[in-house]
Amino acid sequence: MLSGVGEAVKHKLALEDTDTKTQRSVFAVFVEQVQNMIRYSAEKIPSSEMRYGVLTIGHENDDYVVHAGNLVPRSDVVRLREKLDQIRNMDKEELRALHKERLRLGPEEGSKGAGLGFMEIARRASKPIEFEFIDIDDTDDGEHVFFALKASV
Amino acid sequence: MQNLVIPAAARTPAIHFDFSSNHLKVSGESYPEDVTEFYKPVFSALDAYLATLGSGSCRFDFELIYINSSSAKAIMMLMDKLDAAAAANGASVDIHWFYDVEDDTMQELGEEFGEDLESAKFHLEKMKADVR
Repeated sequence: MLSGVGEAVKHKLALEDTDTKTQRSVFAVFVEQVQNMIRYSAEKIPSSEMRYGVLTIGHENDDYVVHAGNLVPRSDVVRLREKLDQIRNMDKEELRALHKERLRLGPEEGSKGAGLGFMEIARRASKPIEFEFIDIDDTDDGEHVFFALKASV
Repeated sequence: MQNLVIPAAARTPAIHFDFSSNHLKVSGESYPEDVTEFYKPVFSALDAYLATLGSGSCRFDFELIYINSSSAKAIMMLMDKLDAAAAANGASVDIHWFYDVEDDTMQELGEEFGEDLESAKFHLEKMKADVR
C-alpha cells in the first residue's frame, strides 16, 4: 500500500517546486501517519490485518498540512493524549533529547513500533502538532473514538 | 567471506558490504514494511564479519537520504555493533555519516548517533551532489 501511494506523493511534491527539506519533511510525516494507521487503527476488515483510516495532504496558507484520522479504542485515549501533550509542548532541542533517550528503550506497552513515530512527526513539523479525540455514533461511552492528528510543515 | 550486496528498492536502501576491502556501505532511503525482516540478514552478515575483524580496520559509510522512525532503531543497532567491535578488540572502525546539505534533519540525526559512539571514530560529512 505505502509503496504505491508513497511514490505518488513524492512525485507530486517534486512537481510543486518546493524546497528539498519541505518535500522530505512532508513525506516523512506522511509515512509516519500511514504507519500509525496501519498499526493501530481499531477499524479492521474482519479476519484480516487490513485497517481503515483517512489521510489528506493539503495546503493551508504557506504550510503543507497532513491530516490523519482513524478509530482507536477509547481505553487508549488517556495514554495517547498524555504522550501527544508531552510532545506538542516540547521545543526542537527537547524533542531531540527525548528521541535519543527513547531510541535506546524498547517499545512501550501497547506500542508495536519503537514509540518514535509521533516524535518524528513533531520534529518534522513547523508548528506544534494538533490532535483531537471525537466521540462517534452520538455516544460518549462507545468502544471506539475517532482520533485526528494534524501536522503542518 | 561472502560479500553482501542488496540493490536499493522502493522502500529499502542499497547494502554494499565489501568485506574483502573492509568497506561497508548503506545508502538511499529506508522505510520498509517490515524493518526486522529487512535488516535481519544485514545484521547477521555484519555480526559474522565483525567477529573475524579482530584488531583490523574497517570503514562504514551511511549515505542516507531519508529513514523512517523504525529504521532509526535499526541504524542505531548497526552503530552499536560497530562500536562494540572497536571496544572489544581494539579494531579501528571509522563511521562516515553523509548528509544532504539541504536537509538538516538527517544531519541532526547523524550527530545524535555520533554522540553515542565511544570507541568507533565518527565523521560527519556532506553528501556529494551526484548522490542526492
